[in-house]
Amino acid sequence: MTNMVAINNQHHANLRITEHAHTQGANQHLVPIVTSEINKLIVHYPVVLTKFDDTGKFGLSALLGFEEGENLFWQQGRWEAVYVPAQIDRLPFFIGSEQQSDTVNHVLCVDMDNAAVNESEGSALFDNTGEPTAFLAEKQQILAQLLDGESQNQMFIETLQSLNLITPITLDITFENGANTSITGLYTVDEEKLGALSANAITRLHTEGWLQTIYTLAASNAQIYALIDKKNKAIKQGDAWFEN
Amino acid sequence: MKNFPITRIVVVGGGSAGWLTAGRIAAEHQCASSERIQVTLVESPNVPIIGVGEGTWPTMRSTLIKLGISETTFIKECNATFKQGAKFAQWRTGKKDDFYYHPLMLPQGFSKGNLGPYWQTTQDDLGESFSHAVCFQEAICEAGLAPKSIRHAEFAGTANYAYHLDAGKFTQFLTKHCQEKLGVKHILADVSDIVSHENGDIKSLLTQQAITIEGDLFVDCTGFKSKLLGEHFQVPFIPCDDVLFIDRAIAVHVPYEQESSPIASHTISTAQDAGWVWDIGLQSRRGVGYVYSSKHQSQDDAYERLESYVNLDNKGLFNQLKPKEITIKSGHRKCFWQNNCVAVGLSAGFLEPLEASALVLVELSATMIAEQLPANRQVMDLIAKRFNDTFSYRWQRIIDFLKLHYCLSQRDDSEFWRDNRESTSIPESLHELLDLWQYHPPSDLDFTSNNEVFPAASYQYVLYGMGFKTQLQPHQQWVDIHFAKQQLAQNQKVRSMLVEKLPAHRELINKINQFGLQAV
Repeated sequence: MTNMVAINNQHHANLRITEHAHTQGANQHLVPIVTSEINKLIVHYPVVLTKFDDTGKFGLSALLGFEEGENLFWQQGRWEAVYVPAQIDRLPFFIGSEQQSDTVNHVLCVDMDNAAVNESEGSALFDNTGEPTAFLAEKQQILAQLLDGESQNQMFIETLQSLNLITPITLDITFENGANTSITGLYTVDEEKLGALSANAITRLHTEGWLQTIYTLAASNAQIYALIDKKNKAIKQGDAWFEN
Repeated sequence: MKNFPITRIVVVGGGSAGWLTAGRIAAEHQCASSERIQVTLVESPNVPIIGVGEGTWPTMRSTLIKLGISETTFIKECNATFKQGAKFAQWRTGKKDDFYYHPLMLPQGFSKGNLGPYWQTTQDDLGESFSHAVCFQEAICEAGLAPKSIRHAEFAGTANYAYHLDAGKFTQFLTKHCQEKLGVKHILADVSDIVSHENGDIKSLLTQQAITIEGDLFVDCTGFKSKLLGEHFQVPFIPCDDVLFIDRAIAVHVPYEQESSPIASHTISTAQDAGWVWDIGLQSRRGVGYVYSSKHQSQDDAYERLESYVNLDNKGLFNQLKPKEITIKSGHRKCFWQNNCVAVGLSAGFLEPLEASALVLVELSATMIAEQLPANRQVMDLIAKRFNDTFSYRWQRIIDFLKLHYCLSQRDDSEFWRDNRESTSIPESLHELLDLWQYHPPSDLDFTSNNEVFPAASYQYVLYGMGFKTQLQPHQQWVDIHFAKQQLAQNQKVRSMLVEKLPAHRELINKINQFGLQAV
């Protein structure tokens, strides 16, 4: 459940956020991402395209696990990674939209139902003078990045589609304990078609600023092996637990 | 006669047969980017198009792919919906709850074993019809669900499917697509005369608009008129009205009650006392029609049957639907390719739309012409012979299969049904199969030609649906009981899962119109 409330420095002068805000992502096996963070994401995560359930349209996500509810980056109650995806890092904050005549205003909101929101511990939102703290400023910046990313993502995906560069990936994985899984519904960049693009198309991608993003996304596929490794380690830990 | 390469293809007639054939040849031979083969379609600016059948086969998916048409665009432009087979209601006993399905998917485990005999011997305990017990598609159709979700790529799906389409819109769509994307040349003119070579080949067409159209191969898509093959070459028409009695149709467009009314994702075919009613759900309306035998029923009674099927609140409303009458001549030309002229579509022949065979025959013909386009005039006669053999066989198979729906009926409420069971009305080839199935369960081995139109599974669906029983002998080795049980259990499992998971047909169509399907 979420309970979105617009933030102001009077009502929320004493609000603090503990480090448990990321708990909401504990059971996600995919997290939506924006193109501007792909360079950082590839340190850990395979970046993939997936389709939205209700529209079938493509979106960009980081892959966190191999089945519904499995987040291999969530360990011992915290997000175990140098870089946490923006969509998780912004928690428990949201951007709300306010319709004012013909313009839409964006307002910073907080989810009052998130267990990390309290008045006694964690990072404060405002200082004594009512100015936003560095903590809040950073979150605002992340939210701005996400907001900006919506249209960027769409442009990126349309570019990939116009060049027929999207291709499905099917993963048939056997883990160390012998368990098999076959994962469908993930898509990536077709490297063969990418390699066969005309000079004109490449120039266009370069000019529009997408060329690097495309190659980075393709390279991130290698992180699937790291993710399998994480899963194998998790399985071993589970076994060790029972053996002891 | 000199031996020259075949490079100029002239298609006469601009209905769905004409455009599908022209488009298929042009796509195969890359007419948009190469001058090697030229495809010209000439059609009269004055002849109205008869929209043949709104039902297709799954082959239409590969045809659309070959023509480079996006599924989303096709669905939007042609008022199209998904078709997952046909429901035959009241064919067997005529009672209200009497129905079976001919789905578009093979019985579970079909390639590994034949479930037919097992089902026949255990049907009373199973309490499930054949089509329901061995295939999950009937359950999807009964629940009004689509064969796929919005997350499926174009032309992909959970269940096999074809389409229902608005034939008029489809023709308009093809007219534009074939010219703009595939390089088909379009001439609007009325053919008035035919100029022949010495060997009888067509040399050119003269038109009222004073344009002369020369060609190496002429495709006759002139509809029932069969202007080139029938009128010019005098190839005789072989009627089959002694087998299939339907000779009239009355068709109406029925609006949905509401914009959000469910759309059936199968053709509904409901038997009457002198024929049957088709019911096809498009996006914005239903296409409903009664085909009947005028030897067995008066026109007034036929109108009454259709009106009562459509079942509108108000009597006057039915006439406002402007019922359209069509005279049907069941049968086909003696051959389809004569000299340098090949007929495709109604000019080749026509059969009642019971199994939506019209468009699929066009697709099959267009495919064979496109893929085996004669390299030169000399080899054309050989290709023509092969084409004629192939399609004579196919027409006969379709006639047999259509007759099968009628001759097994237990209905005794009219002469129409009794006449349909008359032994003399059943073709020899069908007699032979029925005799075989008396003692041997229908199986894949009964159909060994490369040119089969209906697989053995289709015969099984109709035979078992109509209550046909093989006299099985205990010593006959059927199928492993474990295997059979496993397959039926598997079907049951998938069936209940899919009924939960798949979206309503209308809902998916709305989403495709709003968001489109992705190419991958």
